[in-house]
Amino acid sequence: MMQKKVCMLGGFAVGKTSLVRRFVSNVFSEHYHTTIGVTVEKKSVKIDDRDVTLVLWDLYGEDEFQRVRDSYLRGSSGYILVMDGTRRATLDTALALRQTAMRTVGTVPFIAIINKADVRSEWEIDERAIEQLREQGWTVLFGSAKLGQGVEELFVTLATQIVQTSPIPSDSL
Amino acid sequence: MSTDPHRPHRDSLSSEGRTSVDEDWTQLRTLLLSPEQTQLDEIRERLDNRGIQPREISRVLPEAFAMRGETDQHLSNVLTPYVENGFVATIRKSPRTIVDAIAPILGPAIRQAIARALQSMTQSFNHSLDESLSTRGLRWRLEAWRTGRPFAEVVLLHTLRYRVEQVFLIHRETGLLLHHVAAEGAVVQDQQILSGMLTAIQSYVRDSFGASPDQTLDHFRVGEWTVWIEQGSHAYVAGVVRGTPPETLREDFQAALDDIHAQQPDALTHFDGDAAPFKTTQTCLESCLHAHYEPPPRPSVLKLWILGGAVILLLSWWGVMAYQAHVRWSNLLVELEAEPGIVVTMAESTLTGYHLKGLRDPLAKDPSAIVVEAGLEPSGIRAVWSPYYSLDPQLVETRAHSILHSPKTVKLSVEGDTLVATGAASIEWARETRRLATLVPGISRYRDEGLVTISIPDLLERVNQTIVRFRSGSSIVEPSERAALGAVSMALRELDQAVSQSGQRVRLEVLGSTDDTGSVTRNIQLSEERARAVLVALGGEQLGDATTVIAGSVQSTDQRGSTGEARDRRIVTLRATLTVANRGNEASRP
Repeated sequence: MMQKKVCMLGGFAVGKTSLVRRFVSNVFSEHYHTTIGVTVEKKSVKIDDRDVTLVLWDLYGEDEFQRVRDSYLRGSSGYILVMDGTRRATLDTALALRQTAMRTVGTVPFIAIINKADVRSEWEIDERAIEQLREQGWTVLFGSAKLGQGVEELFVTLATQIVQTSPIPSDSL
Repeated sequence: MSTDPHRPHRDSLSSEGRTSVDEDWTQLRTLLLSPEQTQLDEIRERLDNRGIQPREISRVLPEAFAMRGETDQHLSNVLTPYVENGFVATIRKSPRTIVDAIAPILGPAIRQAIARALQSMTQSFNHSLDESLSTRGLRWRLEAWRTGRPFAEVVLLHTLRYRVEQVFLIHRETGLLLHHVAAEGAVVQDQQILSGMLTAIQSYVRDSFGASPDQTLDHFRVGEWTVWIEQGSHAYVAGVVRGTPPETLREDFQAALDDIHAQQPDALTHFDGDAAPFKTTQTCLESCLHAHYEPPPRPSVLKLWILGGAVILLLSWWGVMAYQAHVRWSNLLVELEAEPGIVVTMAESTLTGYHLKGLRDPLAKDPSAIVVEAGLEPSGIRAVWSPYYSLDPQLVETRAHSILHSPKTVKLSVEGDTLVATGAASIEWARETRRLATLVPGISRYRDEGLVTISIPDLLERVNQTIVRFRSGSSIVEPSERAALGAVSMALRELDQAVSQSGQRVRLEVLGSTDDTGSVTRNIQLSEERARAVLVALGGEQLGDATTVIAGSVQSTDQRGSTGEARDRRIVTLRATLTVANRGNEASRP
């Protein structure tokens, strides 16, 4: 079994936890978010018929009161940047977090996902901004915590990128 | 041939000459190019014959596999399905081969797993057993009933000093789980998520207090659990301990961690999420799964001594009693065997009591009396005696006396099967005995040549002729008179015996008298005194039961010889008569 540490990053209340809640295994209360700033969850995906376990470090949403701890990011094989489509500011936070992540773990695969795809009409993050992100090499997905959309694709895409970066040895099956 | 560059071209040659030249050239070419031609033929054969190729490939196949394997995983991906199919086919075709191959690997692992399970079960069972009957065991049983938990678990919780329930080997940088072991029965959450959270908590604590990277969280405690963390350069060990562990346990953790770092340096340095290489750390981590329980309280030595002493005393007392009872029983059997007229045919000593069975002559001694004499309780012995006639001489003699009603003056003895009668008896008894003697069981013959027979009238006459004389005024029996009285006494006893067999009684009157000297009153008194003195001399108190004695006096005028000399009237006379038993009227006989 291959394991990979993946961090979930995003601004305050962008819906990180809500987005993945029904797709992951968890034994800890969300209360840990506000105490130590992280809860650890687990998601298993299949890449090329091989199981890969993504150990998700769901980090507390960064805002003016609490910053993401660099130490939580260390050792990550990839990360997920979550934004709220209806709040433009969460894009800025994501950009800042991207810088933090690069500084801490270097160039590792990451996926950006914009939540609340079910209310696209209310979005403040427009297509142009998204296009700019994609031009910078970002993989941008759309998701909906309400409808459960985009999450499986998110994990599979990220896991695939991680595996391609560091191939799975055959004897780890 | 036209393309052959070596062939000379001569247009002027005739056809015959050309033929000759061709042959020469062929011969020359064979001579010059034979080795090369052979090689060319071999090369052509190789190219034409494809069967040679596998042999050639076999020479380079291992190197080819190795080279391709170093480049990428494609070769493995290609071969995997074939290997899998081949493996499955082999298992189906010859499962025994696979079993033989993996048995050396699985055998020890299975044995170890079974041993651990048995050890855990035995441990739990022993604790439950140790505490099941003690005071605190009863208290814990109440607690188990109150809380609804199994009794064994309650015992475990109370006697447990510490137990390492889980050990995590975690990659330090990523927080990913490398390996995990757990004790039997430990509650295990998702180890991968726990590993992440353990790492997060350490980072949180370190960051929160501004600690340097080499300052780490060593342990934390929650309720009855303590989590001990030992850091290595690439990985750390986290042990979940229930109870209060000793500090030496940390050394075990560190030793295990050092071993793992020494065994897996490359896997730890280049860890990229693949935990497979760390399966080999299983034994190392299991060595950290210590458990220590509080031994059950030992009963005090004094109590043990007292208890032991009491038991020994009880056993000793029981042993002595049992020995004494055995001795009494043995003695009783010896006594019974020695007793004439008793034959023991079965003797048993069981837990419920003693059992006797045998034969007993009615004339033999009562067995109950022998039992009492032996010191045993007759009620504790169940005896069944069947009657029989014993031929023991003593009993035959007793039986003869009993059946023949022999008088006391007769002595009966048994010599073999012969009854011998001696002494004195009446003619009637002697006659009757001769008739009856051989009917006595055990008696075949009878002899009485030593028996003196006398008749009752003779005895009466011998008694009635007796006269005892006294000095004047005296009531003392003179020594010269006593000798005669002895014979009379014997006659009286014989008479008593004789009449008792015929259903009659003897009435003996002892009558005293005086001469005329003195007052009448005095003389009457003196007469009575003389009669009593004679009676005493006769042993009147010891005469037989069939004899009635009357002592009295007679008037001077009624005395025998009253007309004679005065000395002839200072006498006592005896008068014996026969009476019919139980009848008031006398049947006097002359």
